[in-house]
Amino acid sequence: MAGAFAFKGCQKIRGAQIRVLLEAKDFFLFDCDGVIWHGENAITGAAKVVNALIRRGKNVVFVTNNSTRPRENYVNKFTRLGFTDVMLDQIFSSSYCSALYLRDVVKVRGQVFVIGCEGLRLELLEAGIPCVEEDDDPDATIYNCALAPDVKAVLVGHDDKLTFLKLAKASCYLRDPECLFLATDNDPWHPLSGGRILPGSGSLTAALEVASGRKATVIGKPSRFMFECISSQFSGIDPAQCLMVGDRLETDMLFGSNCGLDTMLTLTGVSQIEEAQEYRSSDLTTNHSYVPDYVVDTIADFLPAFEEIEEQND
Amino acid sequence: MSGSQCARLGGPLVRQLLDSVDSVLFDCDGVIWRGDQAIPGAARVISLLKQRGKKVFFVTNNSTKTRKMYADKLSSLGFDAAEDEVFGTAFCCAAYLRSECGLRGKVYLVGSDAMRQELEAVGIQAVGVGPDPVSGKQLDWASVPLDPEVQAVVVGFDEHFSYMKLNRAMQYLTQKDCLFVGTNRDTRLPLEGGKAVPGTGCLLQAVETAAQRQAQTVGKPSRFMFECVAQRFGLRPERCLMVGDRLDTDILLGSACGLKTLLTLTGVSTAAEAAAHRDSGSAERRAMVPDYYVESIADLLPALQGEDDPSL
Repeated sequence: MAGAFAFKGCQKIRGAQIRVLLEAKDFFLFDCDGVIWHGENAITGAAKVVNALIRRGKNVVFVTNNSTRPRENYVNKFTRLGFTDVMLDQIFSSSYCSALYLRDVVKVRGQVFVIGCEGLRLELLEAGIPCVEEDDDPDATIYNCALAPDVKAVLVGHDDKLTFLKLAKASCYLRDPECLFLATDNDPWHPLSGGRILPGSGSLTAALEVASGRKATVIGKPSRFMFECISSQFSGIDPAQCLMVGDRLETDMLFGSNCGLDTMLTLTGVSQIEEAQEYRSSDLTTNHSYVPDYVVDTIADFLPAFEEIEEQND
Repeated sequence: MSGSQCARLGGPLVRQLLDSVDSVLFDCDGVIWRGDQAIPGAARVISLLKQRGKKVFFVTNNSTKTRKMYADKLSSLGFDAAEDEVFGTAFCCAAYLRSECGLRGKVYLVGSDAMRQELEAVGIQAVGVGPDPVSGKQLDWASVPLDPEVQAVVVGFDEHFSYMKLNRAMQYLTQKDCLFVGTNRDTRLPLEGGKAVPGTGCLLQAVETAAQRQAQTVGKPSRFMFECVAQRFGLRPERCLMVGDRLDTDILLGSACGLKTLLTLTGVSTAAEAAAHRDSGSAERRAMVPDYYVESIADLLPALQGEDDPSL
């Protein structure tokens, strides 16, 4: 039995406990899919929670591995779904952070070969990063296709227009050890509403890792980089003041753990509490990083805590 | 075999080795041909082996051709080979599904038309072959209609691989009783003309990651490839020689099945790599050490032609 040393509580909290937490933290990081919405439907009460946090002067940011839309689209979606005060600079998507990585960390000179959708390309374009043009040459085959010159990085994200030819081209570029290999995220599959799923960027990245014999540098959760982006923008951010709220143990909770943040699992998305408990009782200490500090059934469970705070203030 | 030493094969050892086996199994690419060029001397080696009463087989992980297509390619390159001597993964995968899995009915195939043909030849209908681009919206893809008669997802080399195919395969595999079989895990596929493209291993990894399930693979180093040949021809492992260019497929298969193994250096692996495996402390790595190596299979010619025998 894994002993009684100090490790993650995986503790379901309600009411007063949540109130204490809300008072103690001033920076809230929310994953989106499965936490504040399912597809086009906001989780009941989520908009009220987010609006209330913002109105109380808390910092709220959204940290998503979803690379398919540009941030402007997210702002529109937030508004559409009733989240009234969410601004562009509160949104951190893996595509936006990939662009920042290329522009500010790598300071890439040359082109980037992108396996990804329009949303990813737009973020790169906005950051001034040249992408190899998507090639609609009908005569190009795996036996004979042109390669662009001066490709300094290959970036893989979610790509519903993936073809074998793209994989072949990417693996050619990756033969140059100077050419970087980046992935927006490693999620093997993405959940959609109604319990349905789609293949994720992680599956495309895995294919390319096998083809190239190289490991990709992952930008999105659970890698720390997205938190570094957030810290650059919100200077003075203190991990001890942060709470990471997510629905996926292997991305959100591990991300929080990697960045030294307290973590909260909400049960409206991918991971079940039983999975968290299994990780918790694992003999492998690395599995403990997947265990959340706190658990709620839904973030709407924050609402009674706000009402209590309001009552106290009256 | 844990005792394999990767010794240089030359002199009287060649004849000794050849006399100790009745059957020789050759990998194709990097061993008897490269792309569409025969390795010099290779065709003569095969002829002479047959003349000396040896059985010869061709065992390849490439799933893009039927046995007939391979036999045609072998003939066009001057090799004396019959269709039933060829064991490619398209044929073996169909055999595996039919005889080992007892599959009757349909499979969802991410693979070539050659695979579809080999499956049909054993009474298994394959759906999904050919281009399959995405259309409609995300919710449509997640709700693609699944054919209730499909009992397995089969993955081989597919130049038409697309997100949609990956998606369909994954959706089928969410059904626990759906079988999952792959032809092989090779990371590169050599094309005619000498280029190489990402191999089946990449496509298989994509599907395995999305579905969070492992496929059963049929190709080398899986023992099934040898068993497929052995069953049909009554082969005894200790009287067989496996000749290949890849330590992690050909030689490993040979070790696993108790065959004698010969590495040729006209393909992927090097003698240095073999030596490193031999000198490592790992039993797993030692299984990739061949008994012998040659620069090229043409090195067998002197012994086969009787030129090495001073008494002649």
